[in-house]
Amino acid sequence: MQPFTYAAPTSLAETITLLGQNGEQARVLAGGTDLLVQLKENRRQAALVIDVKRIPELNVLSYSVRDGLRIGAAVSCQRICAEPAIRQAYPGLIDAVALIGGAQIQGRASLGGNLGNASPAADSIPALIVHHAVCEVAGPAGPRDIPAEAFCVGPGKNALQPGELLVSIRIPPPPPRFGAAYLRFIPRNEMDIAVTGAGVSVVLNEAGDTILSARVALGAVAPTPLLAQEAGAALAGQPVTPDVIEQAARIAQRAAQPITDMRGTAAQRKHLAYVLTRRALEQAIARA
Amino acid sequence: MAIGISLPRIDARPKVTGEALYPGDINLPGQAYAKVLWSKRPHARVRAIDTRAAQAMPGVLAIFTGDDVPVNEYGLITFDAPVLIRPDVTYQTRDGEQHRSASVPNPKSQNAKSFDGVVRHVGEKVALVVAETEQIAAHARELIRVEYEDLPAITSMHEAIQPGALQVHPHYPGNVIKHYRVRKGDVQAGFAQADVVVEDTYFTGAQEHAYLQPEAGLGYLDEQGRVTVIVAGQWTHEDQQQIAHALDLPLDQVRVIYPAIGGAFGGREDMSVQIILALAAWKLRRPVKIIWSREESIIGHHKRHPMWFHARLGAKRDGTLVAAQVRLMSDAGPYAYTSAKVLGNATVMAVGPYDIPNVAIDSQTVVTNNLPTGAFRGFGAPQSLFVAETQMNKLAAALKMDPVELRLKNALRDGSLTVNNTPIPPGCTIAEVIQQCAARIQSNPASNPKSKIQNPKSRVGRGFACGHKNVGFSFGAPESCEATVELHGHTEIERAVVYHAGADCGQGAHTVFVQVAAQALRLPVEKIELVASDTASSGNSGSASASRMTFMASHAIFGAAHAALEKWQDEERPARAHYIYRPPPTSAMHPDTGAADPNITYGYVAQSAEVEVDTETGQVRVLRLVCADDVGKAINPQQVVGQIEGGVVMGLGWTALENFVQRDGHVLTEHLSTYLIPSVMDIPDVVESVVVENPDPHGAMGIRGMAEMPLLVVAPAVVAAIHDATGVWVNQLPVTPERLLDALERVNTTQ
Repeated sequence: MQPFTYAAPTSLAETITLLGQNGEQARVLAGGTDLLVQLKENRRQAALVIDVKRIPELNVLSYSVRDGLRIGAAVSCQRICAEPAIRQAYPGLIDAVALIGGAQIQGRASLGGNLGNASPAADSIPALIVHHAVCEVAGPAGPRDIPAEAFCVGPGKNALQPGELLVSIRIPPPPPRFGAAYLRFIPRNEMDIAVTGAGVSVVLNEAGDTILSARVALGAVAPTPLLAQEAGAALAGQPVTPDVIEQAARIAQRAAQPITDMRGTAAQRKHLAYVLTRRALEQAIARA
Repeated sequence: MAIGISLPRIDARPKVTGEALYPGDINLPGQAYAKVLWSKRPHARVRAIDTRAAQAMPGVLAIFTGDDVPVNEYGLITFDAPVLIRPDVTYQTRDGEQHRSASVPNPKSQNAKSFDGVVRHVGEKVALVVAETEQIAAHARELIRVEYEDLPAITSMHEAIQPGALQVHPHYPGNVIKHYRVRKGDVQAGFAQADVVVEDTYFTGAQEHAYLQPEAGLGYLDEQGRVTVIVAGQWTHEDQQQIAHALDLPLDQVRVIYPAIGGAFGGREDMSVQIILALAAWKLRRPVKIIWSREESIIGHHKRHPMWFHARLGAKRDGTLVAAQVRLMSDAGPYAYTSAKVLGNATVMAVGPYDIPNVAIDSQTVVTNNLPTGAFRGFGAPQSLFVAETQMNKLAAALKMDPVELRLKNALRDGSLTVNNTPIPPGCTIAEVIQQCAARIQSNPASNPKSKIQNPKSRVGRGFACGHKNVGFSFGAPESCEATVELHGHTEIERAVVYHAGADCGQGAHTVFVQVAAQALRLPVEKIELVASDTASSGNSGSASASRMTFMASHAIFGAAHAALEKWQDEERPARAHYIYRPPPTSAMHPDTGAADPNITYGYVAQSAEVEVDTETGQVRVLRLVCADDVGKAINPQQVVGQIEGGVVMGLGWTALENFVQRDGHVLTEHLSTYLIPSVMDIPDVVESVVVENPDPHGAMGIRGMAEMPLLVVAPAVVAAIHDATGVWVNQLPVTPERLLDALERVNTTQ
């Protein structure tokens, strides 16, 4: 592995200063499940690795019916999945969070890291997008919010400006009759990178027969996790019928712009975008 | 009784606690570190290797190339691969004649024509850097400048055999290493009698062994000055011979020791780090260590042969087989390794375990610039049986006949003539395992696990297959196994020491040795001490391969034990006896007809698979797998079940998941994140091991070899189950979701 300097600051201010001083030379380490592998394989360079696990704001994990969910950027998947209240309120988020790696990886990997790494195939990001998650960022110019769907700007590239740090992720409380689901396709049953992923959320009317609003987000079909707005729009105001679901899934399929790589061909990914969106919608509606 | 009991493995505690030392765990004071410079080019002439900058780096001890290897060649069957690369330098002598330095054959080399100066696959070892630290070695490796002249890469078997195709290796004109021709009866007349003929083309993919422990080792000079290599392998004495050959040393100057081995599966039969470690330690007179990364391991050792088949099978209306014809071709990569032997096995097993009066088989193994291929659990039989058994299942469908009934009607029985026109060795129990497997499904249909997918697009199906494979070396290859037993004590035997070279690759061979010795000596297992896997203390055991180690070692240990007991009776103290077991001889196939006694004996297996197919994504889940395997006598039933369960999962990987992709000679799946092996979640809900114990007349205590059998017919059983579920036959392995989806779509479009 390339040699680097290691810093473990305990405050946001100190971290922002370090990031500002070191610019592109610095990399943020949370669980390290992506970064350490990339450093070992020389896929990313770092002269300074800043471990953010000792910063209190990045370790917050709070949920209330009124305020919703706040997940510190360094909180591990395991901690999130271990909270019964979170599991109950956000099963569609847990779908994705529980999928990331095996037990050991779950204990290290963080949602903040999954966002920061900005993989087009990241499992948590489509789920965060459909939950209207907001990324809370701190930086030299002060705090700002970035919607989850705008956080990734290219493969491995995120929207953070020099000196900025992702502090936490805020998810609003689910409205009444909200349901969400995330599904991904991998050739085996665990520990793999999505060939395609689909996250969806719906809000139904009181009778449960009409979709008031919906979001559809896809993974591994574009340079970034993709909010398929047309698919969500096509569902809004529509009755809950197989036809409506089918049509929205076909729209999601058209929105997908995948490439062919080692994990799958573009044609297979487009097909999976349809299948997974349809199935995730059925599940989300059942949960709503 | 010391046999037939599930004695806890003698290495269980040290392995579970982490006390067991694998090659990478062993260190010696003052050791240096080595790194291999890989070619990363599928085919290129090497014009020059400039090591000056690397050599000048502080901490670099030496950089070795092919020029430093006394006899720069290795190979398990034939010496046709370079240990390291010698640059191919064209120069003019004083009389103006053109010469190429690398074309001057080394007088010690067995081959008249040299093959050096060219890299022929991406995992070719160009040079070895040895330095004070691993970091320095890695850095210095980057400073070596190699001048390549790229050559066109031949990466398809079909392209390689075209007339005028570029020659991959000077030893193999026409790019063919070996071909076999088998003729039994009159195949044309046979097909003329057939009421039904099934015919198809098949392809099976490469497979990576993916053992837990990537290649590693330590070379040093032992207290007697012998160049010694601690490494994980499958045959200490073969490693010793190949090291001695390359270093031009007498055998007794070379010592090979195996500590704990982290899996092998055939992948450690050919040389990886053995020769280069010995070379570095011998030249530098100090310990040298190497550890390959997973990525180096994946390009650094051979793969299972990809194979192409065209097969025809003919039967009467009542299911009686009348004729079978198979053409098959395997991709050897650029060097022979064990390709000719694997091809021989694939040929013998090409029509399955059936009595067919008229057979024609033509097979060849072809050189290309893909990675070398060689031994891998099953050794050619899984590929052939996938085809033979899928043909049988298609025939059963065409005849509207029960696949089990069709098999029983045609199964080889004692006295049947094989494709080699000689009787199957006595103790043929294929019909027995078919019946046992079928009976288990009948008697226990309720164990069907419920669907995991639980979606309306899923379909469930069941498939059946069976097969056989040789136990022990084939085709007249010298076959023997040695053991030494030493009895200590005065009036009573207090302690028995067994010396045996056999490799415990993780399969539990050493535990079996102890149990067999205890049985033969009628001693409790606690009194048996095993000294294993060191050429300095044991005779040649042959390899841990070909499902032979338990079969062969049991004979050898029994022989040595009885001889030692006789000496004990004669009051020798300690009583020490050495024994060499030699099984009945085998013979090579006749070049025109294939007539031969190719094998000592065979192992027999039958399987039933139950799958669920998601017809919308192409994903296949194996819900239940029943495996009936005739092991003759289970020395350690728990280890037998372990082999069955492990073999089944490995077979499932090859069948449906493990897609080893090479493009233009480059490996695109060099990480375990892109080359997907089954994880614990991919294991079927139910794997039922039916341990059949029909004694083999050739086996000590009736033992049969069994380690490869559970893998043999997973693929055809699963493919038949997929057909049962969906109506689609898949003729290519692995059955990736995308491939299956394509096949389903093709069917849907044509309907």
